[in-house]
Amino acid sequence: MSNALVPMNANEARTGDHGELIQLVSFSLDNEEYGVDVLKVREIIRMPSITRVPNTPHYVEGVINLRGKVIPIINMRRRFGLIEVEYDKQTRIMVMDVEGELMGFIVDAVSEVIRISSSEIQPSPAVVTSGIDQECIAGVINQAERLLVLLDLQKMFSQDERQLFGSL
Amino acid sequence: MPIDCEDQELLEGFLAETTELLEKLDDDLIALEKASDDPELMNRIFRSIHTVKGASSFLGFDLLVRVTHKTEDVLNRLRKGELQLTPEIMDVVLEATDLVKTLVADIKAGEIVDREIDETINKLIPLLTEQPAAPAAPAQPAADAPAPAAPEAPPAASETTAPPQAEDKPAPEAPPVAAMPPAAPRPAPEAAKKPAPPKGAEKGGDDLSDNTTVRVDVKRLDDLMNQVGELVLERNRMIQLNQDLQGGTSDHILFSEEFGKLAKRMSFVTSELQMQVLKMRMIPVEKVFKKFPRIVRSLARDLGKEVDLQIFGEETELDRSVVDEIGDPLIHLIRNAMDHGLETPDERMAAGKPRTGTLVLAAVHEGNSIIISIKDDGRGIDTERVGRKAIEKGLITEDQLAAMSQREMFDLIFLPGFSTKDKASDLSGRGVGMDVVKTNIKKLNGLIEIKSEKGMGSEFILRLPLTLAIIQSLLVEVEGEIYSIPLASVLETLRVDQREFHVIGGQEVLKLRDMVLPLVRLEQVFNVRRCHEQDNFCYIVVIGSADKRVGLVVTRLVGQQEVAIKSLGKYLANVTGIAGSTILGDGRVALIVDPVGMVDGGEGASGGR
Repeated sequence: MSNALVPMNANEARTGDHGELIQLVSFSLDNEEYGVDVLKVREIIRMPSITRVPNTPHYVEGVINLRGKVIPIINMRRRFGLIEVEYDKQTRIMVMDVEGELMGFIVDAVSEVIRISSSEIQPSPAVVTSGIDQECIAGVINQAERLLVLLDLQKMFSQDERQLFGSL
Repeated sequence: MPIDCEDQELLEGFLAETTELLEKLDDDLIALEKASDDPELMNRIFRSIHTVKGASSFLGFDLLVRVTHKTEDVLNRLRKGELQLTPEIMDVVLEATDLVKTLVADIKAGEIVDREIDETINKLIPLLTEQPAAPAAPAQPAADAPAPAAPEAPPAASETTAPPQAEDKPAPEAPPVAAMPPAAPRPAPEAAKKPAPPKGAEKGGDDLSDNTTVRVDVKRLDDLMNQVGELVLERNRMIQLNQDLQGGTSDHILFSEEFGKLAKRMSFVTSELQMQVLKMRMIPVEKVFKKFPRIVRSLARDLGKEVDLQIFGEETELDRSVVDEIGDPLIHLIRNAMDHGLETPDERMAAGKPRTGTLVLAAVHEGNSIIISIKDDGRGIDTERVGRKAIEKGLITEDQLAAMSQREMFDLIFLPGFSTKDKASDLSGRGVGMDVVKTNIKKLNGLIEIKSEKGMGSEFILRLPLTLAIIQSLLVEVEGEIYSIPLASVLETLRVDQREFHVIGGQEVLKLRDMVLPLVRLEQVFNVRRCHEQDNFCYIVVIGSADKRVGLVVTRLVGQQEVAIKSLGKYLANVTGIAGSTILGDGRVALIVDPVGMVDGGEGASGGR
């Protein structure tokens, strides 16, 4: 997170503290809003045709062809044990850099890039909404009327990988 | 003492290979300290040092052999769990590795310096005999010295490897010396006079860069340029056609006719281009083969055996990525044949064979693969003895052995830690060599087949793909999903009525001519949702790996296509039954079936029921 060092003006005046400015991409999943570091997001694409890969964890939707590169796609709803819905016009794949490898994550919708100060990030409360694994939550951002859950996908991934390798 | 080596090229090969191995060894050792219970890592470290030892022994670098041999012994004890890895042991091992590097640097500089190696060796020796707790004591006085050295080792390693590109002479010598305080007083003056023989060092630098650059015939390059020129013309034509259609100057009938022609020309030009590029990457297998006569000669001398080495097909060309990888496994196979296969002259006479044993090394093209065979007329593999040894070493159980076919017993020799020797010698007996063979061949998507007859000799047949990037494949449809099967492992395809299937012990089989073919339903292996109406007729793709055959049941055959292999990435690297993926003409991704996994998996499934 600390690499998004952009001087902060307006926000600083309002919040009155001196945290670093962080840019987040916010997306929604089952009516909750989440954010990930903008520097980790490579691109956001619409749903292409996905090729299923057999014998993988249930939340691996398959692989897609991203301009000649084959990348795995993770269904975030399934990953977090949320109710599955049909893909619609808002459904997007966020292509992110996870430990040097590109991966796609299916989310309900991608809304905007927001700027917050790092001091606004609060540690997550003991019990958080829905079924999201505690480990992947880097914090919670409480901004005026909205609550944003900050995710650390790298963490979710290393845990998955451990499981995957453990089963081999 | 100047280096006395008949073949300069052989020496350069050795230096390049050893430098690369040592480079990796450092990383691995450091990683091992963090994860000392990782058997894969341990085996890899062991293999590297074993290969360095083997290579230096046939070139006659005695100092190097002595150090690596002892290091290997210590690592072997660690691997077997007889010794617990402590920082003190790691210090000593790292020190030994640094010493090896210094010795290799000496060789690279073209001058063998009589260095003091006993001090390091003396530190290694106690580790060979004493129990885990004890070595701390004898190592203690020494440990004081290497302790500060240990943290320096990794930077030293990166520096020793970096300079060959920079061709910066004095720098590479200094770091290993600095990392070895015990030896410091001696090498210091040497380090000072190092700049004197720059010739040898520059050669070393070139040698390394050789691994990453290709020498290409100018004519081939010109041809390539021509092809690219044609491709550009065709692209312009395509743009023109599109503009005409958009602008209304061309109707659909004319367009489709013109476009059809264009597609044909494009396909022609691209396949030509592909051939050209492929050709540039091809080098004759001679590059690897030519170092064998020397190895065989010196091995024969050491073992007191008489061997006639015959080499065939050394002009056979294959992809350089493959050539780089097959050197190690071939050396191990040759050693194996010399040490275990061929008998001594007296034994041969007694068995009624000519005194001189024959070792045949042959390479030949077959379709899209290359076949390399190493054949000896020695005593052959004694499956009984192999089985007994495997049980002794605790690699398999009696029950497992009883259920094994002859071929599976042959496969036992590839298990890590397997050896028929009771005592490890300079040459063999640690159970590493064949493991190296298997690992490397597997990495190349190759197959190993063993033919052996007791008393008559054995033959190891390696079947390797010509190139690793593009393969011929058979596209099949399984209930609406497209999969690609490497054509190299497809033996035949047939259309059959499902009523002809039989069930033996829960396993579906098909009687095909005079053999019973086990069937694997791809839709079950891959959990495909059934979408078609049950049709009695289906297609069977018979695939084979080594001498096993399996029939894959598919819905439909789509066709044959040349496909570029794309990796599925780190995350999905180990999916059962899938070897990779490729992109089809319509931009969708198709998965490539792993034939080896299918054949083994199919058998495992039938055995389990």
